[in-house]
Amino acid sequence: MSSGQNSGGLMSSAGLVRYFDAEDRNAIAINPKTVMAFCVLFGVFIQLLSLTIA
Amino acid sequence: MSWKEAAEPVLTRMPVVTRPTGHIPFKRKLAWTAGVLFVYFFLTNITLFGLESTGSDIFGQFRSILAGEQGSILQVGIGPIVTASIVLQLLGGANLLGLDTSDPRDQVLYQGLQKLLVIVVTAMTAAPMVFAGGFLPANPAIGNALGIGLFGIQMVIFAQVFIGGVLILFMDEIVSKWGVGSGVGLFIIAAVSQQLVGGFFSWSGLGTPGFFASWFGIITGSVELGPTFTSEWFQSLLFSPGELLALVTTALIFAVVVYAESVRVEIPLSHARVKGARGRFPVKLIYASVLPMILVRALQANIQFFGQIINSQTTMPTWLGVYADGQPVSGFFYYFAPIQSRQDWMWFLGFTNAEPWMIFTRVAIDLTFMVVGGAIFAIFWVETTGMGPEATARQIQNSGMQIPGFRRNPQVVEKVMERYIPQVTVIGGALVGLLAVLANMLGTIGNVTGEGLLLTVSITYKLYEEIAEEQLMEMHPMMRQMFGRE
Repeated sequence: MSSGQNSGGLMSSAGLVRYFDAEDRNAIAINPKTVMAFCVLFGVFIQLLSLTIA
Repeated sequence: MSWKEAAEPVLTRMPVVTRPTGHIPFKRKLAWTAGVLFVYFFLTNITLFGLESTGSDIFGQFRSILAGEQGSILQVGIGPIVTASIVLQLLGGANLLGLDTSDPRDQVLYQGLQKLLVIVVTAMTAAPMVFAGGFLPANPAIGNALGIGLFGIQMVIFAQVFIGGVLILFMDEIVSKWGVGSGVGLFIIAAVSQQLVGGFFSWSGLGTPGFFASWFGIITGSVELGPTFTSEWFQSLLFSPGELLALVTTALIFAVVVYAESVRVEIPLSHARVKGARGRFPVKLIYASVLPMILVRALQANIQFFGQIINSQTTMPTWLGVYADGQPVSGFFYYFAPIQSRQDWMWFLGFTNAEPWMIFTRVAIDLTFMVVGGAIFAIFWVETTGMGPEATARQIQNSGMQIPGFRRNPQVVEKVMERYIPQVTVIGGALVGLLAVLANMLGTIGNVTGEGLLLTVSITYKLYEEIAEEQLMEMHPMMRQMFGRE
């Protein structure tokens, strides 16, 4: 059973987006913490822009 | 050369969130999930820079299932993910992609294609929102102050919406890989629950009073119901401000979904080698879950989306659509708009000015769409997510189990599965469609819409099951092998 994380038990349920175990070595890997940090910083940045300029 | 070789260099290079290398403790998983949820709520509260006003919501009533927030960075919500999923489901379900998802090479391509599609659809959704009509009106004063003009500030808004859409995709990936459940599910629950809680506990200071505030007013006498035991009194109790009907519908949907989750056909299994080791394979009534329903609704949402864009650009012929206050009141776009609330159809109480035959046509189209669409998408869903007869037969075979009384052979098991899975899937899909329309017609607390409620209850139930499974594995590390995880 190599269908990735959706192979939990016999029943499989997937989200709308499916992720498999297989990953290409060429792919750009992003650390989840980087994504979270970017989200927060982006939000703060936009808020600051709105507060200073508008 | 097939499309695969041509697209490979692009698809394999799509950025991915790294996968955890080892086992993540359950608490860490919860922390990731909570973190993403926190960031999601944070971003829905950040207003886009450069807006003149929040504008009118192009998603309208679909907002509750598409998550996000009008005028915020998360403007598009999970809309692009759902739309891209529809495309993939239809292509995959009709087997036009030629991708075998059990082959690692094709898995990479599938993931890449999926991500590329979402990104393209995000741009396609964001563009008309920003550049057409008053959905996200840009503030020319800011553009002039910055020296980039109106178009420049529109581009800045577009960039923010686009980045927000991509961030949702990556947040979903984080939850799927590092957390519990899926991000899409989490965002739907978050959006619907927020509305539901608002519908119950809100008070007039926050806008419309919620259920409890209304009843506090009714009991203390500050809200008038009309003369006791007259038809006006009963109407006030059932509809606004009593909302008893909405309360009953909401409770009913909860009960039906939780009950239906446990309705299943169980196929007995026994181990081929170990005598006495028995198991059961459950074919659930809501087998394909409620998720395909969101695809049907998104299809309807996209039709309305088109209507809104055309309406904002030109005047269209009357057979196509006549709009009043941004809502279709007749023509094609009226009939294809789903019934979202009691205001859309209860002509006998004076909620709408539409002719009864128009309302009946609209209800009939909505019902057909949901029931037939629900069944079709459920079938595609089952096929593409590896829950179909062939895939499950292979899984049972690989786990060393067999159906007692039948030869131990994948084809034989598949034959048995074919007796149940397709039928149960179609019935389940149609039932969910029917429930969603019914709930919308009767109204729900906080106007969360039928499918919003269905989705939330069933996703929460799935989440509960998953958490229970996680905890079991946490307590007994041996179980991890049994559940097939490293």
